Amino acid sequence: MQTEASSREQILARIRRGLRTAVLEPAPAKSVGVIFEPISNSLERFQQECVANLMECTLTADSAASAQQLAMILQSLPAGGIFVQDDPSLRRLIEAAAPARAVRWSSEGAPEESSQATVTLAEALIAQTGSILVTAACGGRGASVIAPCHIVYAKVGQLVPDLATALGRLSQQKILDHNSFACVISGSSRTADIEKILVQGAHGPRRLALILQATA
Amino acid sequence: MPRTVSLFVPCFVDQLLPEVAVDTVKVLRRIGYTVDFPEDQTCCGQPAFNTGYWDEARPCAEHFVRVFRNAETIVCPSGSCATMVRKFYPDLLAASAIREEALAVAGRTFELSEFLVKIAGVIDVGASFPHTVTYHASCHGTRELGLREEPRQLLQQVKGLKLVEMARFDECCGFGGTFAAKFSDISAAMGNSKAESILATGAEFVTAIDPSCLLHVQGILGKRGAATRTIYLAGILAQEAA
Amino acid sequence: MSPTAAQLFLRNAAEKSADLMHREIIRRGMDSYDAAHLKGRARIKDWEAAREKCQEIKQEAITHLDRYLLQFEEKVTARGGHVFWAANSEEACAYVKNLALERGVKTAVKSKSMVTEEIHLGPVLEKAGIKVWETDFGEFIVQLREEGPYHIVTPCMHLKRDQIAALFREKLDPAVNSDDPAYLMTVARRILRQAFFSAEMGISGANFLVADAGAVAINTNEGNGRLCTSVPPIHVVVTGIEKVIPRLEDLAVLWPVLATSGTGQGITTYSTLVGGPRRTGEADGPQEFHVVLVDNGRSQLLADPEQREVLHCIRCGACLNICPVFRHIGGHTYGTTYPGPIGSVLTPHLAGINEFKHLSYASSLCGACSSVCPVKIDLHHHLLQNRRNATEAGATKPSERMIFKAWRRAMLHPWMYALGGWTMRKTLRLAYGLGLAGTALDPMRVWNRHRAPVPLPAQSFRARWRKGLNAN
Repeated sequence: MQTEASSREQILARIRRGLRTAVLEPAPAKSVGVIFEPISNSLERFQQECVANLMECTLTADSAASAQQLAMILQSLPAGGIFVQDDPSLRRLIEAAAPARAVRWSSEGAPEESSQATVTLAEALIAQTGSILVTAACGGRGASVIAPCHIVYAKVGQLVPDLATALGRLSQQKILDHNSFACVISGSSRTADIEKILVQGAHGPRRLALILQATA
Repeated sequence: MPRTVSLFVPCFVDQLLPEVAVDTVKVLRRIGYTVDFPEDQTCCGQPAFNTGYWDEARPCAEHFVRVFRNAETIVCPSGSCATMVRKFYPDLLAASAIREEALAVAGRTFELSEFLVKIAGVIDVGASFPHTVTYHASCHGTRELGLREEPRQLLQQVKGLKLVEMARFDECCGFGGTFAAKFSDISAAMGNSKAESILATGAEFVTAIDPSCLLHVQGILGKRGAATRTIYLAGILAQEAA
Repeated sequence: MSPTAAQLFLRNAAEKSADLMHREIIRRGMDSYDAAHLKGRARIKDWEAAREKCQEIKQEAITHLDRYLLQFEEKVTARGGHVFWAANSEEACAYVKNLALERGVKTAVKSKSMVTEEIHLGPVLEKAGIKVWETDFGEFIVQLREEGPYHIVTPCMHLKRDQIAALFREKLDPAVNSDDPAYLMTVARRILRQAFFSAEMGISGANFLVADAGAVAINTNEGNGRLCTSVPPIHVVVTGIEKVIPRLEDLAVLWPVLATSGTGQGITTYSTLVGGPRRTGEADGPQEFHVVLVDNGRSQLLADPEQREVLHCIRCGACLNICPVFRHIGGHTYGTTYPGPIGSVLTPHLAGINEFKHLSYASSLCGACSSVCPVKIDLHHHLLQNRRNATEAGATKPSERMIFKAWRRAMLHPWMYALGGWTMRKTLRLAYGLGLAGTALDPMRVWNRHRAPVPLPAQSFRARWRKGLNAN
């Protein structure tokens, strides 16, 4: 930490001096509820947003169907190792879907740069923006950005209506005190830097696929 | 007994575009108002104010307030000048000895279309102008005074007038007062973009509630040899059927 | 003698104003933004309420800036992160440079940060022998061209795809054989991926500093910000002190508003929160986390009650997009880190009123910027205040001061004003009669260079009024 007579103290002193002159405050703003249209059907809204975000969202009935979906996705990818969040449900899913794939588990460390895909759970799904909320507990930071394909396995019960709810949960459960990182992911990586033309797959995954299971 | 309005004629209208004020008088009289012109008025102070010379603008503004102190209603054929008085006089004259009078005068000052629609309650002034016209939404009138509908409401009632919309109708024409002189290349580039939007409509005329915009745009159109002409709003409203 | 910033500005503005191809490229880019922005706005039920809420959040943050900065620092430090307070550019750059040298950093990857441009961090590190890779695609491109970003959100919007393909062919790989944007992205991705996985340091900016969570919010669409903050063993955040917001929940409004104003999206693809170095048990992540809080003139702006709200800016770029001056002269002409209306308002405070005051005059005060600012900064009125401040500081031309003193005298005496007007009309009529219009002797030569001469009426309005118009 910086010492007493340092820039830190000088900056703080300047800030406090500067703030002694009060400024007229604007009228109190309306609550967040008025700003966004309330969401009546979270699942419907989430699915609409997924289409707009270019995120694949497949609804499955149960874990057997989820395993089938995962198998199909993995088969469409080139041969090569994948990185999977080390969680019992994912261990079962991988066993059922692709027992022969070379898997590096998150308990072993960071994903390999050459991973063909990563598979993780999610902390929550957000209907308002068609987003997936992940934290460091979902296989670490690189898991959602390093491979060209990121596959998320989640349940419909994880859906929350809006950002306010998701952020509220992060606050109340002090999730950032237990995780050094969290990210709201709303689609595949993209850029429009050249002539405003949308290009999918910039530095992050070109393909983001969600397996959304209806039952717990 | 007819109501009286006092005419506030912007300095550049007085000296370079007198027909703007003449047509304004015509329209006001036609709808039954007596028009008074306090001859001691000079300038509202905007040129000095906008260039940052508030110490020079201030006495000019005080002179304006004294000239109009007894006016019941003040009407101005310019969005930017009406804005100067209504929106900026309160701050500029906050420490003045005649601060209260200034606030009162400011509150009674209106741009022409604003006066016609919101105070006189008239949108049909009995005008006839059988031409295609496109509308440029001058910045001060649109953004500072919020007059997005009033000029259009008046134009829509003019017999025979066909209103066509231009792209980017509320993009600045590039006049900006001393900006046109200090940064004449940028001002002209903006003016040319505006001219292109106007010409793309094929309209015979372009109108606005700010004659300073029209002075600049006419200069640009003239340099391009374009046939489209500018006409101030009152110029249209003053026209009657033959 | 080298030209002043003002002279350079005038020269470049004249050049760009006449460049119709440049104008066409920018217009197409802005039209695209306008369409996307409109769609984005439709997703927000009450846009005015959203603006008011964002203004309220930033007002609260800035009004208690010391408290929130300390709260942020405490939480980050408790998790093993380091917070360094830098009074100015030199201190900020020195900190990052010394850290890099101490850790033996040879390569750094950087995600987009306007503050790092402001403090000129890149050149400082390069001079110390550290290779810095700009990883935002647009920033990567302008870095190859050795120029600064053209726009704070879309750095290379002034370039066409064939120019970028030629640039890649020349600087990266002679085998580049297409100007398809997707193909060009793969070329950049391949090269930058090597950098991500070999760099010893990742440098990012911060879109927001969340005080109650002690977290840095970083928004990117490309995922480059994610890689910079996940793969290298050291993560350094360089941020202005004004980026603070009080609560995590404030992002529920700020994130959608930032994305809507910036690109028309509902939310940026990767909206990341980082609170510290990796924790025990996490699969990966940097072992070291440093946040450099940069003052560099911001605390001084804070002390100005009239303009303090300029610190509310969330760097969305909306004011640049709508500004007709920006659309005609482009981002590079400003010659500053921050172009456009926010740049014109901010730069005199951060970098000196005398050298950059001309920017406050290079505006028609149309007010479009203020009308779109998502945090309701009264930008165009601040430009006017800057002009007033320059006059009060005696920083204007003596000839101009004299002109306005004479103007004032005339305006206080109606007879003088009327005589002045009459003289002007007569002089101009004489000048035009002599064929002087457009020549060096033309009193209206500035006007007449680009416009047809103004009409010269025979009589002023007041003369006509007196001569009979006054009968009601």
